[in-house]
Amino acid sequence: MPERVAVVGSGLAGFTAYQTLRRALEPGELAVFGTDADPAAAWRVRASAIRQREMRSESDGHCLPTTFPGLAFASARRRGSLRPLLESALDRYHPTVDEFLAHVEQLRERSGWDDSFVRRRVEHVRAVDDGFEVDGGHFRHVLLAPGHPGLNIPEELRDDPRVVHSYEPHDYAPTVTVVGAGLAAATEWLNALAAGAEVVSVRRREPVRRPLNVPRDYFSRRGLAGFHRLPPRERVERLRTLSAPSYPAGDRWDEPLEQAARERRYRVEPSVNGSAQVICATGFRRGFGDDELLARLVSEHDLETAEDWLVLDADSTVPGLSDSTRTLAVAGAPAQWAFPAADTLAGARYVAHRFLRRIESCRTR
Amino acid sequence: MSYTLRGRIDSRLAALLPVLLVACVLAGVLRHWWPVELVALMAAVGLALDLEVWHRLFPYQPAWAMVAIGVAELAALMAIVYGFGLQAPLLPALALFGAGWLTSVVLTQAGFPRFRLGYAEDGGELGQVGIVATAAVALAFVGSAATFAVRLPPVVHLSAGVHQGPLVITRREVLQGDRGAVVRGGIVVAHDDVAIRNVTVVGGENGITVDGVRGTVLDNVTVQGAKLDGIHVRGAGVIVRNCTVDMLGNRIGQGIDISFNMDTGMSMVEGCTIVGGMVGITTHSSMTEIVHNRVSRTTGQAISVAEMSMGSATDNEIRDALGVALNCDDQSMCMFEHNTVVGTRVDRASGDPSRRGFGVLASFRSEADLWQNRLVGNGVAMGAVTESLLRRTSRPSW
Repeated sequence: MPERVAVVGSGLAGFTAYQTLRRALEPGELAVFGTDADPAAAWRVRASAIRQREMRSESDGHCLPTTFPGLAFASARRRGSLRPLLESALDRYHPTVDEFLAHVEQLRERSGWDDSFVRRRVEHVRAVDDGFEVDGGHFRHVLLAPGHPGLNIPEELRDDPRVVHSYEPHDYAPTVTVVGAGLAAATEWLNALAAGAEVVSVRRREPVRRPLNVPRDYFSRRGLAGFHRLPPRERVERLRTLSAPSYPAGDRWDEPLEQAARERRYRVEPSVNGSAQVICATGFRRGFGDDELLARLVSEHDLETAEDWLVLDADSTVPGLSDSTRTLAVAGAPAQWAFPAADTLAGARYVAHRFLRRIESCRTR
Repeated sequence: MSYTLRGRIDSRLAALLPVLLVACVLAGVLRHWWPVELVALMAAVGLALDLEVWHRLFPYQPAWAMVAIGVAELAALMAIVYGFGLQAPLLPALALFGAGWLTSVVLTQAGFPRFRLGYAEDGGELGQVGIVATAAVALAFVGSAATFAVRLPPVVHLSAGVHQGPLVITRREVLQGDRGAVVRGGIVVAHDDVAIRNVTVVGGENGITVDGVRGTVLDNVTVQGAKLDGIHVRGAGVIVRNCTVDMLGNRIGQGIDISFNMDTGMSMVEGCTIVGGMVGITTHSSMTEIVHNRVSRTTGQAISVAEMSMGSATDNEIRDALGVALNCDDQSMCMFEHNTVVGTRVDRASGDPSRRGFGVLASFRSEADLWQNRLVGNGVAMGAVTESLLRRTSRPSW
């Protein structure tokens, strides 16, 4: 049977979507376009760069189509202990990075991912009769999961030779300035302190302390229903608010910082000073305009946008380009208009479920 | 998990379905409705709390909250069960609730998230499965209610006036007397699940005889002029409420005699007035609660728990008995609590030292636990003879 469904992007969002799509489709019916067959390749480098050992996500931060069995269940079974399940019941379970990567590897092997993988950087997606043209190939249903458009380094620091982005491999100088206030920044504060450095935190605003990227009710219809009803301007404001830097509360983070502050090895300053090293924990560039594929798609089809965001329907499909015979959907970070935590695994799953639903209800399927 | 309101209801009803089916089977096997009533109550309490409390209290509900919610719902449920007097045995009822809670935990934490794509994102909503589950639960309750209604015994109205007896009841029925309905010559209950209400019985060997059957309820009956016993129960489970038994002039008869029914569970005599006769209320080899009765002018004992019975007499009022008022006899175990015994007279004619006007007497290897009885003007307040024991305690030794 010819390939009917394309996933553009072979990162974790595309991989998670693939796992859901495999419930209804064979590997031969799916094409995954990407530059690296390892779905965790990009993520692995970033996690390694900030020396991340534990996931921020919880038991359901995995790539399987259904939330259960989660990683806590798998860990409990592997360890022969109920502790992971109890921790999960208390929202205190966080899988290790190694556990997560092993999970991805296991799924990759058993899902047929490599059979569907096509090593190609897709430059162009265009709507045509009965579907979409993806770099010359024709597909009825296409999921765009292009990932982040690149690392974000503040304009004023781009030419500073001391600068390294937190997601690039690096060591620590004796004096380190960390720009940013999210999870990566907090991790870097602790890393640099543990390496014996003196740390300066530069931030534009105080970080929000919460367990996940966005408040928990935005992960379900309960919070999403109100979000989807917001008019565009308010939705943009809400997304800006939700995108504010955050990291979890807890002594694990606070105690080392308080200790270092007492020893005068950690302080907050308004701007970059004379530190030997400047680490930009400033995340990724945002917005469809920084992604060539999306920018071209918007331009050629005159798609609706709201400031940096591509406007999507609640099921993360592109309005005007999806109907009862074809689907164009977006997953990962560019899908925030539909799901504020779109750049999480739960967000990828949310889009994947709806994409599959569209495919299954397609009358020409 | 952040439930939507519909998600909460869908998940609750779908998780309740297997428990409801078990309850229906149990009800059929036990021939009691309490399992279905209890599950219906569980559903009602759960849905009410979902609507009014849980949905507002938990915008996000962590898994551990299932424990707190379970405890709160159990407390509410038990308060209603006891408050409205639903006759559910405690331990089986707790087991049923526990099974329901556990099923709910397993299904909402593992079952639904495993088998339904997007269960968490959809806020617990189950789509068509939820609609089907709601319909199935409703159907099960309606079906149970219909079965209950169909199985209700027929009501036979006894018109005002005198009906010649003896009247023998040989099928499940409710014999409902109209005002002034009288049966002359006695009534014999010869079938399970018979209720007699608002009927006066005059004469007969026994006024009302209940022999070898279960589930008999005698409510607001009046018995006069029986030759032997007013109400005579043998090997049968009964509930006697608000009766009046007039045994004046009968020197050998007993007002109410409930005997040899250990195997039928607890019987009860509540709110009756008995005047005259040799014994007011007596039990032999029986487990009977005797509560809130008034017994007076008896010539043998007013209330007697005898012959290896295990029974309690609570909040009764006994006046003007001859010889003995409260009697615990013949290897019985008794609990006498909050009774008022006034004016028990010495039976001088008998010459029997055990009939010296005892307010409370334990005899022949019996044990009676006493708690806060009011004994006034009796020949002897209390006594124990022939290897028997009286104890002051609020906790019966059985």
